[in-house]
Amino acid sequence: MLENSVLIVDDEPIVRESIRDWLKDAGYQVATAESGEEALEMIERQDFSVVVLDIRLPGQTGITVLKEVKAQRPWIKSIIITAYPSAETTAEAKKLGAIDYLIKPLVPDDLERLIRETLDSVGREPTVTTEVEVRPKPPAVEVVEVKKSFIITKENLKSMVESLIKETEVVGVKSKHGKYVYDRIAGFKELCLDYDVTVMPPTKYLLPAKEILLKFKLGDESKVEPVVETIPRAIIGVHPYDIKAIELLDEVFMATNPDPNYIARRQNTTIIGVDCLNPSPKSFAPSMGTHLTEASFDLLLTDIGAAYMVTVGSEKGSELLAKCPQVREPTGDEIAKQKAVRDEALTKYKLSLDVPKERLLKLLEDSYDDPYWESRSETCLSCGSCVMVCPTCFCFDVQDEVSLNLKDGERLRRWDGCILVDFAKVATGENFRHDKAGRFRHRMFRKGKYILEKYGKVGCVGCGRCATACLADIASPLEAFNTLAESARIKEAAIRIVREARAETELYAPRLAELLKVDELTPREKAFEFKLKDGKELGQQPGQFVEVSVMGIGEAPISVSSSPTRNGIFQLAIRNVGDVTNALHNLEKGVTVGIRGPFGNGFPLQALEGKDVLLIAGGIGLFPLRSLIQYTLDRRSSFGKATLLFGSRAPAERLFLDELAAWSRSPEIEFHETVDRGDESWQGNVGVITTLIPKVDIDPRKTMAVVVGPPIMYRFVIVELKKRELPDENIIMSLERRMKCGVGKCGHCQINNVYVCQEGPVFTLAQLRNLREAV
Amino acid sequence: MKPKVAFFDFTGCEGCQLDALNLDGEEVIDLLNAVDIVNFREAMTEREDDYDIAFVEGSITREPEIPRLQKIRDQAKVIVALGACACIGGINCLKNHVPMEEALRIVYGEDAKYYDTIPARPANAVVTVDYYVRGCPPVTAELVKVIKALLLGKKPDIPNYPVCVECKMAGNVCVFERGMTCLGPVTRTGCNAICVTSGRHCWGCRGLVDDPNINSEKDILQKYGLTVDQVLEKFKIYDTYAEVTK
Repeated sequence: MLENSVLIVDDEPIVRESIRDWLKDAGYQVATAESGEEALEMIERQDFSVVVLDIRLPGQTGITVLKEVKAQRPWIKSIIITAYPSAETTAEAKKLGAIDYLIKPLVPDDLERLIRETLDSVGREPTVTTEVEVRPKPPAVEVVEVKKSFIITKENLKSMVESLIKETEVVGVKSKHGKYVYDRIAGFKELCLDYDVTVMPPTKYLLPAKEILLKFKLGDESKVEPVVETIPRAIIGVHPYDIKAIELLDEVFMATNPDPNYIARRQNTTIIGVDCLNPSPKSFAPSMGTHLTEASFDLLLTDIGAAYMVTVGSEKGSELLAKCPQVREPTGDEIAKQKAVRDEALTKYKLSLDVPKERLLKLLEDSYDDPYWESRSETCLSCGSCVMVCPTCFCFDVQDEVSLNLKDGERLRRWDGCILVDFAKVATGENFRHDKAGRFRHRMFRKGKYILEKYGKVGCVGCGRCATACLADIASPLEAFNTLAESARIKEAAIRIVREARAETELYAPRLAELLKVDELTPREKAFEFKLKDGKELGQQPGQFVEVSVMGIGEAPISVSSSPTRNGIFQLAIRNVGDVTNALHNLEKGVTVGIRGPFGNGFPLQALEGKDVLLIAGGIGLFPLRSLIQYTLDRRSSFGKATLLFGSRAPAERLFLDELAAWSRSPEIEFHETVDRGDESWQGNVGVITTLIPKVDIDPRKTMAVVVGPPIMYRFVIVELKKRELPDENIIMSLERRMKCGVGKCGHCQINNVYVCQEGPVFTLAQLRNLREAV
Repeated sequence: MKPKVAFFDFTGCEGCQLDALNLDGEEVIDLLNAVDIVNFREAMTEREDDYDIAFVEGSITREPEIPRLQKIRDQAKVIVALGACACIGGINCLKNHVPMEEALRIVYGEDAKYYDTIPARPANAVVTVDYYVRGCPPVTAELVKVIKALLLGKKPDIPNYPVCVECKMAGNVCVFERGMTCLGPVTRTGCNAICVTSGRHCWGCRGLVDDPNINSEKDILQKYGLTVDQVLEKFKIYDTYAEVTK
């Protein structure tokens, strides 16, 4: 697209030319058209940033041009000019995506300002709230080329479906209780291709509500085996918005940490889409750009009356169509007819976004503290209907189920959702999103912002299912977005389609590790030493965590307590708080556990190198920090001054006593320790950890502070460190969340738009200041 | 040493025990390999007073049932309430809306004088209950799940979210969209929305989720055409005890 390019459409030469001259002087690229027909021709050939459009034109009216622009180039912004404003036409124009209208005669400055504001809000990269780096994407991605279309008669389509049914499982849209559902079909006559929307999206055929990830044996001869269950299947009648949703699922499950179960199903599934010509009254797909689709299907049907236009979207689709006799190329009339039925469908949508979808990022960003979340969520039942029916929802939970013989079991994945009460609750009982309003907002942010930022695809396809399913009538993102709507606009990033991916078959399968040693640190905490049975190193960075499996009980995220500089083994120090940790505490030397990982970013060793390091641990915050303490001591010359502050609640809760003693003697590290409450056995400092900070010399220009402890401690330690003028970038913290899958998919650990298991758990204070759910 | 399991019945239809017997053959054998069942009136005649895990069925509706349940609490390491009556009071609590004399007269007529009754209550109104196998009748698979969790030493994964989640997973068309009303949005799931899947609506037999939005549910029921009285009646069927003691 030409930057700053404006097309002026007006039949009055004087208006056309004067606007052209004003805008040219202001530095815009300007083209003009004197009729609707001419404008349409130009738009077909060339892209523009903005169209300034007279609503009253001879021949094709301005409204027709608007419709066309919306259908063909929905990103073009339109400004209406009219000498005869009427409520109906302006409303219709707005509905068709016009940004604003100006009344003739025009004030040049007004027009120029409106165009400038429009362009200023267009073309920017999406606003990103954190400095979290986007990981490089793997090369398993390609951009899809343009499709070829054919004509298939209704009779031939029927025989194609019937023969498909003989070969494979065929799922289609059927009617049920006056609504529509996806279900297996036994014959073409069961199939409904003209429907508004299904109750549930087709997600379950790619990501079932419940599926087995692993099979395992418990006990001494513990064995783990990944399970992938899939059958060849064709899904017929998928609407474009659902295809767009599948495109997002492809991105989530195939692009990074390729999910073996999803990929196997996806590759085994043939998708035959159909254009939605009679949309649901709750749908606003055109506003989300999902009423049509160009990719991610094998075949796509359009009912053009006498026959179907069928667009080929893949090799698989092409082969399927090749088996069909009497398929021919479409005539010009038929191509025009396809366009006409699509255009007619477009007029049937009753709802639309009041702002361009590109504007949602900024809109939500600015609305985080809006009272809307609190007031609108008051009637929320936390019933989960909105997330269950959503085609772009994919979060899940993982649980172990064991047979009654207690010898073998399965690890199951089940749908879960962030609107449900316990979604972000951890074993210690803390719920990181405990309030209805916070959960309600998080869901809307995922739909309008986080998913787009993370995956480059819309997180809401405008299908309207949630609005239908929500009994309290509050779930529609459209309502939320429109309520929050303002007037600026921005533009979406480039599109990519995930086509192929090589599955990481062992993604959910733990490696086996032998328990070599157990040390009781306190009655509640033990240190465990492990060795991987395959003889390999764990390969962790200080500050990373692993998912530890006790088969039959489940998995829990545990920080690695030992430094990679201590070869061959790794140590995990664990407090007994939940099922898995309790089971671990009951284990004895020699048994086998499962280990996945290491996961997460770890402490930023590069940033720490050469600096004075101030390490501050409260209570079991020492567990993750110990890896960095060991690392610092083992690579002592890589760092400047090293200082360690450690606080426990009471002398009896002190951890790693031998090491504490060694550190206090070591000339390599300055060590201060305190307890909140002393007793007669305790000779040292008494007071909370912040009382130690004034004892330390800190040079704010070359000191990096690494702080790990309970959430409450962070607040006070930050205040003390800021008093010593340490910049936010130099204060590093490690956060606790419910890390369930470890591979950035299940959603449980998410803080705003960040998956803690991937982009955390270590953050600088500067990053956390933008993550409002964090501390 | 296999843990010893006992089943006890209080006031109820004993359908929960019957349901526990619905395990298939292989599961029964696995279960008997894992635990010793020492007390199960519906399935065996032998009885033993030494047990570790007690399943308690039925609600408490007569004075003598209170010390009996307390004695079970003293003996058992773990008490599991089995079924709606034991978990939430269940339909027995419907009588709590009328004076006890009236309730006796309605049921026994002239013979009322020979009987005694107290307001019905769930097991946890009398003793501490460790785990719950909910429902009327309970889901057999959930009973097995609780037993397995006890054997493995972990908390059973019983959902704390409403029936809507599993109802959607089951692919049902919403009861409200079919012109009926439903207690699913506030009722704890775990039943796979079996009633809705079978064409009916949720009666609330598994009790409420931990933090139900009752006001919103009442508004919705009214919006879909119920009167205030009809709304209250809906909640009464299984949840009277919670309503009355609130």
